[in-house]
Amino acid sequence: MSALRRLPAAPLSLAAGAMVWEVIGRAAGVSFFPPLSTVLDRLGEMAADGALLASVRDSLLNLLLGTAISLVAGIVIGVAMGRSRRVEAALGVYVYALLTAPSLVFAPVFFSLFGAGRGAVVAVIVMYAVFVVIVNTAAAVQAVPAHLEEMARSYGAGERQLLPRVVLPAATPMIMAGVRLGVGRAVTGMLNGEMFIAVVGLGHIVTEAGGSFDSASVLAVLLIVIAVALVAIALVQAADRRLTRWVPQTAKGAQGK
Amino acid sequence: MIEIHGLSKTFTDRRGDTVTALDDARLDVAENEFLTLLGPSGCGKTTLLKCIAGLVPYDSGTIEIDGRPIQGPGPDRAMVFQNFALLPWASVVDNVAFGLRLRGVARAEREERARELVATMGLAGFEKKLPGELSGGMQQRVGIARALAVQPQVLLMDEPFGAVDEQTRRLLQEELLALWEEQRPTVVFVTHSMEEAVLLGDRVALMSARPGRVAELVPVDLPRPRARGGGPDRSGVYAELTAYLWDRLREMHEEHRTVRTGAPA
Repeated sequence: MSALRRLPAAPLSLAAGAMVWEVIGRAAGVSFFPPLSTVLDRLGEMAADGALLASVRDSLLNLLLGTAISLVAGIVIGVAMGRSRRVEAALGVYVYALLTAPSLVFAPVFFSLFGAGRGAVVAVIVMYAVFVVIVNTAAAVQAVPAHLEEMARSYGAGERQLLPRVVLPAATPMIMAGVRLGVGRAVTGMLNGEMFIAVVGLGHIVTEAGGSFDSASVLAVLLIVIAVALVAIALVQAADRRLTRWVPQTAKGAQGK
Repeated sequence: MIEIHGLSKTFTDRRGDTVTALDDARLDVAENEFLTLLGPSGCGKTTLLKCIAGLVPYDSGTIEIDGRPIQGPGPDRAMVFQNFALLPWASVVDNVAFGLRLRGVARAEREERARELVATMGLAGFEKKLPGELSGGMQQRVGIARALAVQPQVLLMDEPFGAVDEQTRRLLQEELLALWEEQRPTVVFVTHSMEEAVLLGDRVALMSARPGRVAELVPVDLPRPRARGGGPDRSGVYAELTAYLWDRLREMHEEHRTVRTGAPA
């Protein structure tokens, strides 16, 4: 038991999931749910012919662009909304409406605007990711303790100094919570966008394979997407740890060990 | 040095009611004086201090420092806060150097000055610690060092020892006395403790709640230095003054209660 406890939780639960998948896949013996080993074989085949690698590269580039735009725009707009009632009044209703709207309904619009290429996919990713970043950033900025701002003003800080010296550092833990959610949604947006627009990236493979009832290929792509998502989340967490090292462990609550 | 005339300030509270915090308040603070500002809670003493700090705009009246009317916060004043108001992500040195940094003092210079003050406040060895790793007393030492770092003419202290335990408070009072008796900055010190007001002050400005103004100035005829040997003799003048201040404060509390209930208590 103590030996089990020492193992990291994520790999352990992944291994268990893989085992369950394999067992159920073999027992079921149906073509639409092949066991993990079959999916991994197919993944090997796909990787061997080079098309997969190009698709992965395509998708990653889409994801990177979409995430970068979402984070920069999300944080800038979020800070503006958090600092200014007027900006919040002007943008708030749109942000909250679009946060809850199903993001994929905009895909046809982007398809028409940007054509069936990278632009449309990136736009879909931004649609998925940006609003949750905006909402969290605005809330984070509004939650900055008033006494810290007052202290800084008493030492002569103007708005220009308040932002980098007090507001942004104080808001960082909550902004990063929004960034985590945003990156997760960006991965979803990437696949959905690519499936809908269907000429590029991993989503293209999924659509083709799904159309011919090739479950092994669909699941192989799913594995890659899961890997991409896990790596993206790990990167965000690493950045989060660096940026919010000062937050006491008890205040982080469930994040602690 | 600080001249306050006819200062009035009203707030609008959350329900939209008007609350008069200060009403025609006047107060003069002499150069190098340690003035303590004592009053019942809600009498506007913190508001008055924040007006002097330039943090709170006032409705009418004037505040002048050396004949110059104040316009917002200025480099001649530094404030120490009841809840310390330290930056939780910044080290002790960075917190102490914060005011200097805002004023554009170069990194090497501000860190050197901050380290000196950290040592003066008895925090040597804690330079790299974060506020969350310090006790309340140590955090307020950082707060005081941050104020001293900008070399203010006037030190404004808002119940600085209100959030620490009794023993720590005694130690901090003695340290502040020693520091003041050596450097003699002008201090305006808000407190709700009669003992603290008498122990530290050259004069006690007693504030009343309604109207929010200085009701009486009580000179404290205790010899200095008071820091040595565990503080002044707490019988005699000290005991008389604290008893007198409590009498006055209790009157104010009772008046306040009468006003509120509309009938004599």
